[in-house]
Amino acid sequence: MGLSSASTTASATPEGLQLCIFDLRRGQNEGQELDKILFFFPADLPFSAQFSVIGLSEGLITFTRIFSPEAACEAIEAERHSHVFYEAEPDIWMVMVVEKSKEFEAIWRSDALRKVLKEVHYLFVMFHGSIRALLDKDPGGGLTRSHLYYFIMDYLGAFQKRSPFDGCCWDFLVGKKLLLPSFRDCLKERGTVQMLTVGREAAIEVQSLVRVLESCAGNIPCHSLILFQDLLVSTTLSPDDTVNLFAYAVLRLTPRALSSGVSSWSYLRKGATSHVSSSSILARPGGVPEQFQGSDVNSPAGDNNYRVIRPLQQDKWSKGKDGFLVTDIWGAEASNLISATPTVLLHQTEERMYLCAHQHKSLTLIFLIPVSSVLIGDQGVSAVKQQVLENVSLKLLRVEEKLSKGWVGENAYHVSGYRYLLVDGDRNVSRASPPGKVTTLTKDSLLALSKLREEVDLEKSKAQSNNAGQEKELEVSIRAKNNAWVIARVTRGKELYMVLEKANETLLYASDAVEKFSNRYCNGAFSLN
Amino acid sequence: MSSESRASSSGDEASEPNPNPIPKPPEDQLAALALSETDSHANGVVHGSAGENNHNHQEIESDEEEVEANSAAPGLAEVEESREGLPRGSVGGVVWARTNSELEVDGPSSPSSSGYAGERGSSSASSGGSGIDEISEVRNEEVVDGFSDLQASWVPGKRHVDEDDASLSWRKRKKHFFILSNSGKPIYSRHGDEHKLAGFSATLQAIISFVENGGDHVKLVRAGKHQVVFLVKGPIYLVCISCTEEPYESLRMQLELIYGQMLLILTKSVNRCFEKNPKFDMTPLLGGTDIVFSSLIHSFSWNPATFLHAYTCLPLAYATRQAAGAILQDVADSGVLFAILMCKHKVISLVGAQKASLHPDDMLLLSNFVMASESFRTSESFSPICLPRYNPMAFLYAYVHYLDADTYLMLLTTSSDAFYHLKDCRIRIEMVLLKSSVLSEIQRSMIDGGMRVEELPLDPLPRSASFSPHLGQHTLSTDSPDRFREPYIGVGGPAGLWHFIYRSIFLDQYVSSEFSPPISSPRQQKRLYRAYQKLYASMHDRGIGPHKTQFRRDENYVLLCWVTQDFELYAAFDPLADKALAIKTCNRVCQWVKDVENEIFLLGASPFSW
Repeated sequence: MGLSSASTTASATPEGLQLCIFDLRRGQNEGQELDKILFFFPADLPFSAQFSVIGLSEGLITFTRIFSPEAACEAIEAERHSHVFYEAEPDIWMVMVVEKSKEFEAIWRSDALRKVLKEVHYLFVMFHGSIRALLDKDPGGGLTRSHLYYFIMDYLGAFQKRSPFDGCCWDFLVGKKLLLPSFRDCLKERGTVQMLTVGREAAIEVQSLVRVLESCAGNIPCHSLILFQDLLVSTTLSPDDTVNLFAYAVLRLTPRALSSGVSSWSYLRKGATSHVSSSSILARPGGVPEQFQGSDVNSPAGDNNYRVIRPLQQDKWSKGKDGFLVTDIWGAEASNLISATPTVLLHQTEERMYLCAHQHKSLTLIFLIPVSSVLIGDQGVSAVKQQVLENVSLKLLRVEEKLSKGWVGENAYHVSGYRYLLVDGDRNVSRASPPGKVTTLTKDSLLALSKLREEVDLEKSKAQSNNAGQEKELEVSIRAKNNAWVIARVTRGKELYMVLEKANETLLYASDAVEKFSNRYCNGAFSLN
Repeated sequence: MSSESRASSSGDEASEPNPNPIPKPPEDQLAALALSETDSHANGVVHGSAGENNHNHQEIESDEEEVEANSAAPGLAEVEESREGLPRGSVGGVVWARTNSELEVDGPSSPSSSGYAGERGSSSASSGGSGIDEISEVRNEEVVDGFSDLQASWVPGKRHVDEDDASLSWRKRKKHFFILSNSGKPIYSRHGDEHKLAGFSATLQAIISFVENGGDHVKLVRAGKHQVVFLVKGPIYLVCISCTEEPYESLRMQLELIYGQMLLILTKSVNRCFEKNPKFDMTPLLGGTDIVFSSLIHSFSWNPATFLHAYTCLPLAYATRQAAGAILQDVADSGVLFAILMCKHKVISLVGAQKASLHPDDMLLLSNFVMASESFRTSESFSPICLPRYNPMAFLYAYVHYLDADTYLMLLTTSSDAFYHLKDCRIRIEMVLLKSSVLSEIQRSMIDGGMRVEELPLDPLPRSASFSPHLGQHTLSTDSPDRFREPYIGVGGPAGLWHFIYRSIFLDQYVSSEFSPPISSPRQQKRLYRAYQKLYASMHDRGIGPHKTQFRRDENYVLLCWVTQDFELYAAFDPLADKALAIKTCNRVCQWVKDVENEIFLLGASPFSW
């Protein structure tokens, strides 16, 4: 029993990562188990090993529901692996299995891993709609599998052109190794946006830009998102949609994303070392792994049969002469059936929107127009774009100039002496010490903070399940073995995490430091008085 | 599907893949999955209808032990039941206990004939008719013992025997503990009848072995507020399923202690039974010891020794403890391995033969075994026990005798025929203790209690002054100028100090202050206990710990922890306490403890210092 699974799970995953998506409503009959699997990475893992992962997951989901029907299995901790569960949609589960390696780096915070699963699912839904809806349209599952395959593989392989020291936290693939968020990323928060702080004058300019932008579409209710570099300047979208679109923009649309590895913050790029093996992960002849092809006679998979849109595909966006960003991901030219203009689905209103992006220097302007309200499709969109060009160009220049003047570079949000992460959970906004500064911390300090964050994660989830109304209030200051102060503060939906390595030994000193920081940078949100 | 058929199918899994899967209850799916491993997935997992359990139910809050006490009737019945399982049949109060070889030889073939069921533990002269009296006795105990409230309302023994994994009430119990064998046979379950839980037990076994077959070892499964913690000890599997919000490390340690308690009763040589026969049924070996396990599990919610790995002493004048120690030492010199005098869970004195050291965990398990088994109270006993940290493979022999209702003497030896010698020793000890009025001092200390936060001195006591006659002297507290003047009366000590625990690392001992208002109800005490437990786990992280200092403020407390090479201090304050004042107060507590260490600790007798 189980010999095959023993040999395969142990050896066949050089990256130390397995990621699968399965649907508990499918493949319930004997011999049809294959039908459950919607996605598996690595795809070349033998089925027996794939089943082993999914079988254990499914078994534990069922088992835990005996005791905890309202929240089934979230994580398995084994000696050598962590399994992180996320029920993306009812009965559709994503499970990530990561290997804990002896070398210290492979220490994971399961909430951070879960946020990776959440993010890829949110992004998927933004472009393709829910997995369940896809499956309903396509009972064979081939279409869904193709979509998931390309999307997630593009997502995992997305950032091979960035170095791990980069300002952004979406770095998974470096060389052949997938870099998942480890304890070193404990001063980052996935699923949040990073804002640019703007002065009063600039804010007024931005406001008027947004207003003009909205007027371009006439009476059509449209939305906009403005970024400067990789930071959000303004949004008219709901918080959830802002997070999703912001994530996509930083991945694919901002000047840095477009520049294919040539960073504007050049000193961080010590040569684009990790250019190398980007192809390895996607260079699979035939695209979709064979398991998904012909598994069901009625719906053979493969890109010949399905037109799979790959919004995360690399190097597909570029800046046109008129400043609008163009891509052929959605087709080279409009056919009568499908528009070539990118579209996204809004989370809140479930409305499909055309996505238009315009860029001027560091400023990226994204606006969304409801598909339903533009009667003539692509032509209508072009008309709106034209309007935008005519109306906002000047304002755009002014805003860009203003923001550039005030911009002091990557270390804009560095606070000397502090290494911090500030999260506003209600608004999905975070701010943190620049990554270059975080790397100066010792491994022990980072480990201690990562551990503390894990504790806080648990406290938060308990507070959530105990009483939805009351928010968690928590203050923890730990002086670690290496004498660093590691601090967590949670109050009214806001969180502050901090490492003070060169602080005095007294608790009062550390508390003072937090108080000062809170007063100066958080409007006193974490101050005691 | 009956539990029998479920059990048998799991038992056969290694050799016979199940050819005809019948619709299974969800908890059997994993077992089925494990079964289907070899036959190339032909035997897929039956989908468990998720909606099946989706009744919008709430946790049974009344699950906790102290609440259970209110439903007196079933509790009483159970106590009587388990008492009947306890050993009887010995005449004159002495059973010449089994030897090691007996255990090894005893065939797994017919465990019921081995006689363990009737022989467990020790002798008892009583015949178990007084169960009801005992419970009321326990309830009426109003001893000023820090944890008396908690202990008093707890009813020992197995409960909910009518439940199994199909019962909704069983599923909602806050904390389950299971012991099972690696073939999936149930050995112990805290709630419910082991025999009815055979199918469930097989599921647990399937989870563990499924992961092991993949070359890994499962430690923890998280689901919402629930944690499932696994511990594998050779052929013995231990599992805890809990929604009590205790940290994983604490739950795992509790499983370790339960395993230790099992070894204390059986020694590790029980493994050989499994080597000979993987399907060996261990339950008869543990017959009648439910009460020992349930009392240990109860102590996981009130006894700091279970997570501190230290023991605590009954406060006594230095000279009194010296007197007790001297007579114990006398006895130890005459071939006794350990001589331990205890009052409830607190040590009065303890002496070991040369080079023999007693681990605090062993003391916890031993005292729990003695206190939980009613038979020890009623007669002098001579019982084989194993100290797992001392030597997990071999039995020692414990002579146990209660000197009064709470005070008991334990004399441990390696020799199985030392009963009469130890009896003589006991008589000598008892005489000395009576003459030197140590026993009455003990009684008085029980009434007076230990350190009270209200009595924290403002200034360090003069070195010369002994803190006497008792730490918790009420008469001193009201009008002494040495005491803090509290602006708000009756809410703990100075600066909002509510409670503290001080652990001396060198001595392996801790001292815990008495519970004062506002930590007065059992519920509040348990909550504080759990907060300390969490703080301990957080400070002692295995990868990066121990940390040096921790300050933690939430809606319930301000907690301060301070770990040095010599001691650890855990202190709880009002959640609105001022940080600077709290730190000052902690320093004062440490000074206070040092000032009175002669009386609250057993000095010069650290079990590790021999």
